[in-house]
Amino acid sequence: MGNSKDRIKFNVGGRIFETTSTTLANAGRDSFFGALFDDEWNLSPSPENLFIDRNPDCFAVLLDLLRTGDLNVPTNIPERLLHREASFYGLLNHVRTAKWGPFDGNRLRLSDSVKGIAPGDGTAIRAGPDGGCCVAHGSVVHVFDWMLDEHYPINLDYQRVNDVGWIDSDNIVLSACEKLGRGDGGMGLFSSSSGDLRYKFQVSHENQVKSYTAGALSFSPDYKIFSSCKGRSNEYGIGVWDQITGKQTDFFYESPGWSLGDADKLQWLNGKNCLLVATLFPRKDNCYISLLDFRDKNMVWSWSDIGSPMAIDEKRVRDAIAMEDSNSICVVNEFEDLGFIDLRMYGGSVRWSSRSRLMKSKMPDEPCYPKLALHEGQLFSSMNDSISVFCGPDWVLTSRLRRSYGGSICDFSIGGDRLFALHSEENVFDVWETPPPPII
Amino acid sequence: MSNQKKRNFQIEAFKHRVVVDPKYADKTWQILERAIHQIYNQDASGLSFEELYRNAYNMVLHKFGEKLYTGFIATMTAHLKEKSKLIEAAQGGSFLEELNKKWNEHNKALEMIRDILMYMDRTYIESTKKPHVHPMGLSLWRDNVVHFPKIHARLLNTLLDLVQKERTGEVIDRGLMRNVIKMFMDLGESVYQDDFEKPFLEASSEFYKVESQEFIESCDCGDYLKKAEKRLTEEIDRVAHYLDAKSEDKITSVVEKEMIANHMQRLVHMENSGLVNMLLNDKYDDLGRMYSLFRRVTNGLVTVRDVMTLHLREMGKQLVTDPEKSKDPVEFVQRLLDERDKYDKIISTAFGNDKTFQNALNSSFEYFINLNARSPEFISLFVDDKLRKGLKGIAEVDVEVVLDKVMMLFRYLQEKDVFEKYYKQHLAKRLLSGKTVSDDAERSLIVKLKTECGYQFTSKLEGMFTDMKTSEDTMRGFYGSHPELSEGPTLIVQVLTTGSWPTQPAVPCNLPAEVSVLCEKFRSFYLGTHTGRRLSWQTNMGTADIKAVFGKGQKHELNVSTFQMCVLMLFNNADRLSYKEIEQATEIPASDLKRCLQSLACVKGKNVIKKEPMSKDIGEEDSFFVNDKFTSKFYKVKIGTVVAQKETEPEKQETRQRVEEDRKPQIEAAIVRIMKSRKILDHNNIIAEVTKQLQPRFLANPTEIKKRIESLIERDFLERDNTDRKLYRYLA
Repeated sequence: MGNSKDRIKFNVGGRIFETTSTTLANAGRDSFFGALFDDEWNLSPSPENLFIDRNPDCFAVLLDLLRTGDLNVPTNIPERLLHREASFYGLLNHVRTAKWGPFDGNRLRLSDSVKGIAPGDGTAIRAGPDGGCCVAHGSVVHVFDWMLDEHYPINLDYQRVNDVGWIDSDNIVLSACEKLGRGDGGMGLFSSSSGDLRYKFQVSHENQVKSYTAGALSFSPDYKIFSSCKGRSNEYGIGVWDQITGKQTDFFYESPGWSLGDADKLQWLNGKNCLLVATLFPRKDNCYISLLDFRDKNMVWSWSDIGSPMAIDEKRVRDAIAMEDSNSICVVNEFEDLGFIDLRMYGGSVRWSSRSRLMKSKMPDEPCYPKLALHEGQLFSSMNDSISVFCGPDWVLTSRLRRSYGGSICDFSIGGDRLFALHSEENVFDVWETPPPPII
Repeated sequence: MSNQKKRNFQIEAFKHRVVVDPKYADKTWQILERAIHQIYNQDASGLSFEELYRNAYNMVLHKFGEKLYTGFIATMTAHLKEKSKLIEAAQGGSFLEELNKKWNEHNKALEMIRDILMYMDRTYIESTKKPHVHPMGLSLWRDNVVHFPKIHARLLNTLLDLVQKERTGEVIDRGLMRNVIKMFMDLGESVYQDDFEKPFLEASSEFYKVESQEFIESCDCGDYLKKAEKRLTEEIDRVAHYLDAKSEDKITSVVEKEMIANHMQRLVHMENSGLVNMLLNDKYDDLGRMYSLFRRVTNGLVTVRDVMTLHLREMGKQLVTDPEKSKDPVEFVQRLLDERDKYDKIISTAFGNDKTFQNALNSSFEYFINLNARSPEFISLFVDDKLRKGLKGIAEVDVEVVLDKVMMLFRYLQEKDVFEKYYKQHLAKRLLSGKTVSDDAERSLIVKLKTECGYQFTSKLEGMFTDMKTSEDTMRGFYGSHPELSEGPTLIVQVLTTGSWPTQPAVPCNLPAEVSVLCEKFRSFYLGTHTGRRLSWQTNMGTADIKAVFGKGQKHELNVSTFQMCVLMLFNNADRLSYKEIEQATEIPASDLKRCLQSLACVKGKNVIKKEPMSKDIGEEDSFFVNDKFTSKFYKVKIGTVVAQKETEPEKQETRQRVEEDRKPQIEAAIVRIMKSRKILDHNNIIAEVTKQLQPRFLANPTEIKKRIESLIERDFLERDNTDRKLYRYLA
């Protein structure tokens, strides 16, 4: 009453809505309402006669979103319709940020499962920076945005995909096997929205462009792309490319008796300015983990299980992840035992924490090797059909994510405040989110 | 058959159902196009945003994004072409105003069009990677208006004309300027730089080239600098008012180059008003201006500094080598101090205490002070003068200031050991004659010397002070153990440690009986308390107070030297004595005796004895008697000795020789120290290292070092390498 100038009444799809211009201002200037109430557009016809030809039910949901910041979608409104309407008003980002909260491994809820039609097992799943993901199956990568709408699949001449990664929300890098006899394969950069191939990365040895198989990928904040490479004539090592120009800038050749070109995992360590390269059993008979400093082409740290006596229960390292905060590398074996190697010592041994002996009894028929991930001080490890969350300095098991179908988890990835888990059967991936923060 | 055909037909009908009205896109676009026209014609009040937004949305939704995008570009281009014709038609001064008005209209329209096309901006453009609506609108304005051939050059010329007008003193519409130049900036950095900044800088460069030439022909250096400074602030002001802040460095560097860098030499050396003139006349303002302007250009300060150094050295050289000016040592040093004060003030007030200028000042002083070999002596004499009388009645703080300044000069000396020699002599005189004004001042200076040159340098000087102190105690002890001596003459002995004091050969003399008895008593007392010591009397350094009664009963106390006392005491027993008799009785060496008699008999007003014949000089045949008629206003009369304050030529030679002699062991010690650590070294390096090590005390002469090396080889400290004769080896 007191502030009647602020009050606005208008008609959306036949229903009268009454609100205030301050509420609508929450939409921001770059939105339908931001422009509508700008001084340049002297509202004509006057607000009372303003008619907006859109769905009133969806508008009610979006108006509440602007009023409270919370998104509450009644079951009778299909999500796709709501997204469509939000897109019209320019409120899609509002919907996305309200849909799930900041990531916390101990408060995750399963929000969705997406079934695919691809044959065979999945290779890798990678979370995008704004809630989307991409899934590699055989020679094709399926791309999903945060609304889990599938975009155009991407491929590199339908060569077998080895790894895939997001540079930013609109750019995906794909690494694939070399096409025998054709000189194709390697790596390509794709648009995530349109699936277009932007450019292909090449490898040169002694100024000659060679075909190659690209393996594991990693990116650094100073716009570099790293990939393990296998060339035709024993040119094994780690290639480096510039994200902006697409040109190769460096190549770290593998030395005899060590393995880089076959690496299963690359991880860029920002604090140490080094790249972690891990080649693991069963790709090779032995495990090789090393840190490379590209500034002076130096292997600054390395560890291998060559020559170490086989333990009775045969603990082989199946995945490794560097934890810069605690100056150590975490490894995991096929029984999901965690082990730690001190990064400050050269040639240290693995300190195993034998915790999960009891799990050995119920091994499923088709086991999947464990994988590791680290997110803001929380350590995640997948084993069979569940993902364990470890916290604190002693890495205490605090949560376990599991669902009933889909079989073993062959890969998982955290990003955009979501966790994606890819199952080996049924071609299904799960989306785990943290709910929005509580009201009080 | 017919049934089957029918079914086929149905399938086709089904296909057609999803096709939208083919004219739909055209119709919708027409609505939007009309709206864009209306917006440009400022007739937007009747438009419904909701309707336009929905139409643009629908076009994108139904895959007509491309048509919408190209349509928007075509319509806007057409409009801008029309606008550019209108702007071009504007005459004279209204041209800029028209341009600015149209630019504002375009911005407003662009904003509204972007609002309508917001959905396209976010979806269609995003996924096709085309330029967004707003940057596209700016590019269109740039290509169709700013780069329109009939506007492009005219716009630039108009702007440059206005700047030129402002530089020549006219008032221009700065607000309009700012708006138009802001337009260039909005269109992107490259547009601002290529279409305005570069030509602007070129025109400015031309302008200042001409102007600086004009100024330099007509103004003196000070005025020129004032004008340059004014221009510089004007340009900075201009940038603040209507240019991009990033242009400031560029335009100031143009002014700096044209007005200062190009005329630097001429300005500095300008006759009657250049740098030297400013320095001579203490023109702090002009000097400060020169400093702040020249520091902006490369080599500017170097030029100023070089000229100042050259002038300082020239001036200093004249000062120290002019025989007229080095007559009075005190004035000589005072003049040096005054020059230093003058330049200190210039550097602190005008040159912002610039370290490099201070260094230049110091090196210049060091250069010319050492041109005069007597500088160490003079500085010591200056201190002597100050400590004898100059510091009386001056506050302690001021004393410190004077001493600090002296230390400053001391630092410039290369031959610090020579200074030490003289200082020791002068200090000895001051201490023994009790002439020193302030013990604190003396000690403070010693502390300063100590911090400057180390413990070694001052240990002997400090030893002299200790001797004075212990002598006092010894005297108290002596009279305490001999209470019978309170009657009769008083003997005050100062026991000096050999080595701490400047040594002079002990001159023998027969002391009067009363005194020699006392002396013997003291000797036995002293040797009784200190065993293993030897006392020798330095009678040539003593003084005595004696009471005398003259003819008419006038009583006076005479303050005389020990030699003079010996002579005067003879007249207690004789009225008249010949030179020979005196010489025989006292056994004082002839030269000293003559000087002593001269001061007793020939100084007017103090001639307590007379001689025959009356003449200025003492002859071997002269005879002497007491001057009964001696009178004086004062009860106490000081009979001075005839001594030159400044050293005479032979004395100078002697001191010099002593210094050289003292240097020898120091050089040898340095050589041995160096060789001990290096074991093998070649000749040039050893010279360099020795010179460096001795730098704080004196500048070692290379030939002298060579001699010392030879001597050390003779004494088997070193040996020459057998194969390379230039190498020396240390022999442990």
